[in-house]
Amino acid sequence: MDWIDQLIQEGTKAVDEVEVYYGEGTSVSADLKKRTIHLATNSIDCGLGIRVIHKGQIGSSSTSNPGQWRKCLAAAIASSKLATAQAWEGLPEQKPLPEIPSSFDPTMKIEPESARDLLSRMLEGAETHPADVTSGSAGLSSVEVTLANSNGIRYTDHHTGVSLSLEAIYKQSTGYEFDSAWSVSMVDPAAVGERATFFARNSSEGEEIATGEYDLLLSPLAYAELLGGVFVPALSGRSVHAKRSRLGEFLGKSVVSEQVSMYDDPHRPGPGGSIAWDAEGIPTRRIDFVRDGVLQCFAYDLKTAYRYGRKSTGSAVRGGSNGLPSIGHHNFVVDGVRSCVDDSRVLYVNNLIGAHTANPLSGDFSVELSNVFWMENGEFQEPVRSAMFSGNVFDLHHHIAGMSQKSRTVGSCILPSIKINNQHIIGK
Amino acid sequence: MQGITYFDLRHVTGESTHIDIDNSVVESAGTSFTNIAVLRVLSGHGWGILQIDNYTPCKGKKFEDLLERARRLAGITEEKVVLGEAPSGILPVPPIREDPYEIPLEEKSALLAAIEKGARSPGIVNTRANYIERVENVHFSDSSDNEFSYRMTRSGFNVLAVASRNGDLQMGYEREHSIHGFNLRHQEDTGRKAATTALALLDAGAPKGGKLRAVLDPELAGVFAHEAVGHASEGDLIFEGNSVLKGRTGEKIGNEILTIVDDPGTHEFGFDPVDAEGVAVTRTEIIRKGVINAFLHSRETLAAVGNGSAGHARAMPGEPPLVRMSNTFIEAGDATEEEIFAECKNGIFLKGSRGGQVDPGRGVFQFNAEYGYLIENGECTRMVRDVSLSGEILTTLHGIVLCGNKRVMSPGYCGKGGQSVPVSDGAPHILLTDAVVGGSGLD
Repeated sequence: MDWIDQLIQEGTKAVDEVEVYYGEGTSVSADLKKRTIHLATNSIDCGLGIRVIHKGQIGSSSTSNPGQWRKCLAAAIASSKLATAQAWEGLPEQKPLPEIPSSFDPTMKIEPESARDLLSRMLEGAETHPADVTSGSAGLSSVEVTLANSNGIRYTDHHTGVSLSLEAIYKQSTGYEFDSAWSVSMVDPAAVGERATFFARNSSEGEEIATGEYDLLLSPLAYAELLGGVFVPALSGRSVHAKRSRLGEFLGKSVVSEQVSMYDDPHRPGPGGSIAWDAEGIPTRRIDFVRDGVLQCFAYDLKTAYRYGRKSTGSAVRGGSNGLPSIGHHNFVVDGVRSCVDDSRVLYVNNLIGAHTANPLSGDFSVELSNVFWMENGEFQEPVRSAMFSGNVFDLHHHIAGMSQKSRTVGSCILPSIKINNQHIIGK
Repeated sequence: MQGITYFDLRHVTGESTHIDIDNSVVESAGTSFTNIAVLRVLSGHGWGILQIDNYTPCKGKKFEDLLERARRLAGITEEKVVLGEAPSGILPVPPIREDPYEIPLEEKSALLAAIEKGARSPGIVNTRANYIERVENVHFSDSSDNEFSYRMTRSGFNVLAVASRNGDLQMGYEREHSIHGFNLRHQEDTGRKAATTALALLDAGAPKGGKLRAVLDPELAGVFAHEAVGHASEGDLIFEGNSVLKGRTGEKIGNEILTIVDDPGTHEFGFDPVDAEGVAVTRTEIIRKGVINAFLHSRETLAAVGNGSAGHARAMPGEPPLVRMSNTFIEAGDATEEEIFAECKNGIFLKGSRGGQVDPGRGVFQFNAEYGYLIENGECTRMVRDVSLSGEILTTLHGIVLCGNKRVMSPGYCGKGGQSVPVSDGAPHILLTDAVVGGSGLD
């Protein structure tokens, strides 16, 4: 795109370096109210993010109107003048990139009819159990992102995405299920419908549980809520150096049970987070944060790496074109020794209410459980009506007693169900 | 245009300014620009909705093309949407005392740095302050020739202090956000307050979970009203059958002293001069004297469900309106703070909010206090941390037995359907019996 070259040329007259992040996309979604389609939406998105660096001062701005890039560039330059100067060794240059599997489905039809078909297949699946559908959604999207900088980088990435969700109720018992992937052929709408109504119907008429210590099996969904809000942010190099991470002093030490490993795998076939370059143009690679229970490293972007004399791990991500790059992950995987975690009697927890209220620094949490069942021999047994679960996210990781054979993608995490023994449950 | 029975367009342009100071380093400071519109069309069935980044207002053929695209989307919908009658109209936006837009970024940055500096003290290992300012120019028009324009400016700051000792990390967090103008001046004490809280929490214990008598401060009691009652009274959830309050109008679910209100017209952080579909905003008493009285509605849910008023549709720029809360509060009663603590006698005092969540269909809610104190013989004693409260909507409200005589509102943001909108919650101090308190302490 000529205007991007022009922008960079114009910018480098005033500052040392310029970086441009431009995204264009379209998406279509349709929503259910009860069992009928209530609305259909088409969104046409574009966004430009500019970052400039001058003598170690970093400035930024963004706009949804690329025609006004001059105004946006001027705002980014003005912004750099306020920032505290830091050690800076330059934006990256164009390099050979790793080969990664595509996350783009050229056959995907971003049309309302495609969304309608997905909804009907979910509704068919929902017929399996006698629960009422309350709401649901199906969406398809296609996004093209370009990263360019004054050191010659011109990278483009094209992603497609499909996402589904359904909510159901039976008497006073609710159920929720979702799925997402980069291709329509990879989602299972009927299973989403079946699972949402299964949880609504079968969580009903649960018995109360006495306060005490129990062995829990957290579903990938429930586990993701605790992991994503507390543990993963503590692996950010910025949190560590800012002394906001409880893992800061644990390099080379045990931070989880020894059968557990954690890594970021940006080259994995399948999940939507796979990409060959990070949000600053650094080629991505696998990062082994935790190997066999022992903490190996933290995640860095360029800014944090330059400031503290480290190397970028290719971990820069952007929430969209209107944000600055920050430290994150592409596909965060929890892996390790798998076993049958549901043979002996265990309390299965499908979801949590209020996990985002956990203390993000200390890791202490207290949440209400949702869709809880006794489970034995791999089968759901009687439901539990309600219970609270209190504990500490970091401590809990030392008590992981097992991981299920299968994993599932929840947002940008790929997780098994985890078994944790002797956890404190507050009953009624 | 043929077949189109209704349309509305909400166009928002604006600027947002942020400053992030972390351990005395200005990490970033700058301004970004927004221009986004949402066009909704009805043509016999459900909604066709176009979301357009970088929208240029247009007329004639160009606008008709947009309408046609939205109409085509609506072609797959099945539900027959009917819009209830509701008065349109706009309130004046309250005047701003000092317009943040007019203040140079350098001055804002220096003032924020002073707040961040206020949080530094021995034992504090990290201090961070953020400033955020959003100026939105909103233009609404619809097919009934209603047209409204207004400009809203919201600004404020957060300050965080992290205390550390022997591997334990605790935080103190303060925030001030306002629609009344620039609020960064003379706030150094707010930074100091965050530090004092963080340090004190290092010595706080974990409470023992179980059923207790609890005193909630106005901020947390406000979140209680929001989570336990507000969401479940939203007309879209009632219509979907996803709320335990459905079909319970007139039912008594709390004591006589309990009245819970949502009022978008109040000059607090959740203020809207007109709702997101052009309807005049109105005060709705959700619970009146313990009885379920009215629901929050958009025009559509008003027609589908009834009981309550439209004027509660809200939207993020570029997003379709949803039924939302704005300024939600428990009305003040007549008890003094002293009476509340004396009546509690032994229990727990919960202060501040780390947010909450509700499953309105199941009728179960959870929320978390920033910290608290044990109450022994009517006096606050040992400090406790990481205390949460959960309960069931239909039974817990009966446990509110005293409401204080002074209501205070607190600003925040509320998430629903992927949209986050500014809100405020508030209450007086309240006494709650049989509160289910979560905590990992064993004594």
